[in-house]
Amino acid sequence: MPALLEMKSIHKVYPNGTVANRGVDFSVEEGEIHALVGENGAGKSTLMKILFGLEAPTRGSISFKGQSVSFQGPRDAIKHGMGMVHQHFMLAPSLTVSENIVLGEEPAKGVLSLFRDRAKEQERVAGLIRDYGLKVDPEARADTIPVGQKQRVEILKVLYRGAKLIILDEPTAVLTPQETDELFDSLKSLVRQGHTIIFITHKLREVMQISHRVTVLRGGQSIATLVTKETHQEEISRLMVGREVLFRVQKTPARPEETVLSVRGLAALDDKGVPAIRQVSFRVRAGEILGIAGVEGNGQTQLVETITGLRRAVSGEIRYLDQELRNLSVAQIRAFQIGHIPEDRQTSGACLTSTIADNLMLDHYRNPGFKIGPLLRKKKIRQFAKSAMEMFDVRAASEQTMAGALSGGNLQKVVVARELSKNPKLLVASQPTRGVDIGAIEFIHREIIKRRDAGAAVLLVSAELSEIMALSDRIAVLYNGEIVALLDNTPDLTEQELGYYMLGIKTQEVASQ
Amino acid sequence: MKTGKALYLELAGIAAAVFAALLCGFIVILLTSKEPLSAISALVMDPLANSFNIGTILNKAVPLMLTGLAISVVFQAGVFSMGAEGQLYVGGFLGSLAAVYVPGLPVWVHLPLILACAVLGGALFGAIPGALKAYWNADEIVTTLMLNFIAILTTSYLVNNVFKDPESGGYARMPYIDPGLLLGKIVPGFSAHAGLLVALGAVAVVYMLLYHTSIGYELRLVGKNPQFAKYGGIATPRVIVLSIVISGALAGLAGIVEILGIHSTYKDNFSAGLGFDGIIIALLARNHPIGVLAASLFYAYLQVGAQTMQVGSDMPREVAVIIQVLLVLFVSSQAIFAYIKQKFVSGQKAVG
Repeated sequence: MPALLEMKSIHKVYPNGTVANRGVDFSVEEGEIHALVGENGAGKSTLMKILFGLEAPTRGSISFKGQSVSFQGPRDAIKHGMGMVHQHFMLAPSLTVSENIVLGEEPAKGVLSLFRDRAKEQERVAGLIRDYGLKVDPEARADTIPVGQKQRVEILKVLYRGAKLIILDEPTAVLTPQETDELFDSLKSLVRQGHTIIFITHKLREVMQISHRVTVLRGGQSIATLVTKETHQEEISRLMVGREVLFRVQKTPARPEETVLSVRGLAALDDKGVPAIRQVSFRVRAGEILGIAGVEGNGQTQLVETITGLRRAVSGEIRYLDQELRNLSVAQIRAFQIGHIPEDRQTSGACLTSTIADNLMLDHYRNPGFKIGPLLRKKKIRQFAKSAMEMFDVRAASEQTMAGALSGGNLQKVVVARELSKNPKLLVASQPTRGVDIGAIEFIHREIIKRRDAGAAVLLVSAELSEIMALSDRIAVLYNGEIVALLDNTPDLTEQELGYYMLGIKTQEVASQ
Repeated sequence: MKTGKALYLELAGIAAAVFAALLCGFIVILLTSKEPLSAISALVMDPLANSFNIGTILNKAVPLMLTGLAISVVFQAGVFSMGAEGQLYVGGFLGSLAAVYVPGLPVWVHLPLILACAVLGGALFGAIPGALKAYWNADEIVTTLMLNFIAILTTSYLVNNVFKDPESGGYARMPYIDPGLLLGKIVPGFSAHAGLLVALGAVAVVYMLLYHTSIGYELRLVGKNPQFAKYGGIATPRVIVLSIVISGALAGLAGIVEILGIHSTYKDNFSAGLGFDGIIIALLARNHPIGVLAASLFYAYLQVGAQTMQVGSDMPREVAVIIQVLLVLFVSSQAIFAYIKQKFVSGQKAVG
């Protein structure tokens, strides 16, 4: 049986010279769930953009249903029965679910089809929801439904347009474990009804759980296509990275000592003036990692900003050792031994148009050791940058390379190098490995644990539950701006259990400390 | 700081723009002149034909360097101040007051006092839009342009009424400054005045300030990525004010140097747009002090070429203006350079 989709020796060179695909072969059979995995920058997104007509390949051929095709744009691809669910949802927030689903292709009636046929719309949307078991209230406004349901709406949109081949770009990135399970049930039911699914991810557990076959990309090339049942995580990760990867982060039990950070009754507003965190209390001791779990947008950003001085607290206290941090300036807080890995390295964590050396200097340029009179000691700065790059395995041509030329993983290592090179007594790490490759994740995790073992207190905020569970000694769950659970990270703590707290289904009486 | 290749490409791009602008100018000359070759020669060769013309180029480059530096500093901080012209008038005016109305000081006290008044005047006048932007979020383009009017018209009123030299007749100027205080020739017999040394010194100081001090580091970071600067604890409002203050100081210096080197006293409308020329220089120079040096010399060369062409051929000086305008157009069209860079880099870099 010929494959449903056959992409042959796809090459893509972007105008800026970046080679994203160099000879990718990718074939998908009808009725399968095909996982496409690879590190960041391996060329997954580019390949899918080419497939969906968003980018033209430099070389290579695509055949779909046995026909050679070359899509001029998404419209073309959709006409051929393809659909793509993007990582970032694209819903009109003020329209209802039903209106979002039909948007642009509303059933019409009357003279010249000038009028919306609401009855037909309702019927068809209800039919879709029923047939595919994607439960969502068609009359709810899109901005009022939870993330998991938004994703269902996106899938329904694609199905409404008659897609038989559905591309899902990292669909579980924003979901809780429970929502992920539900998504997987829907995907299985879609396949049963004759649809084919391409599932882009970098979570290998999900690959094992849901896919029939998996194609691994590395460095813009297709490395292998495997039948999922006949392989295992270690093999896939080895193919992705090109070497063996330690799966479990190795760490010894924490030996916590004195309290380094103590937060009490902290409250702060978000940019719109709405309370974002309320009555948050916890403490982090030297030699332990406290993980803050939670679905994104539940106050994590504001919590970190308030502790690091970027946001004013409304009430409460933040004590670092014997020092009250609340409402000190960022410069005053950075002058302590407090490291802060911010959640967004592209904008806050690094200056892409500056050199690596300038990025590493952020705390040191005021340091008298790096100055003679008013002048900066450039040579010493360069040496410092070089050794920091070596110590933190930053791969770049030189310390004068522009930060913007680095890959996500290397750029994050620059941020980590800067924040750890001040030997922090307190490290606030927000999404420390978001969007970086497995090799860098491993490295950064090891560095964080090394700091803990050296006696630093670590506050880890991550949307990646597996990261929280792998690194933390204790876990606090933030839901709707409040800490709803404070748990010891024992081996019998499950993701499901945490998921209940993250969704606000369960709440624990958090004893005030 | 740039890697060697990026710098090379940047320079090549600017050279290409210069070449293209000159080419367009030549085409205009070829199409309209009866004796195109002598017109081109008058434009290109005559400015360098004798030491007087060369001296004129240097003298014209002096204020351009200073205002070019003034604009480069604010632009690097991401502040789009258009206020160099007004700051130049304020600085020149206060400096001239100190020169004309403070009597009986020895030159080595008096001259530094004059310069200090000019620098301080420009700096303080720059602080106004700086503070308005930093603390009240007022758009600096609007405020600086408006303050230019205030500066130019106020100084004009004062020099036409209060401080007008009674012997100046219909011409609005202050009494002449004591010749001992003026910036003399660097070398006797060569027309370049000592303002050149001041300007060169300013180039060096601004270079060191931007690239070798912590103030410069903060200033550039605020310009490149304000969020990163905030995260790093840099007091962005203070840096914004400081950048316009430094800019105003340089513009004020430009004003007084022009007066002491060329005009011998404060004259109404003496600048006629030097502050705005500074914007062009900064654009050409990509806000880099060394680039400012080169761009000022080239721009002054074109201005002198315009005069020599007007005198030595049937072409009016406007042709040189066309070249200047095209130059700005080409250099500021970043897209072209991005394209050239892409062509160059294509196929060499391989990032997955």
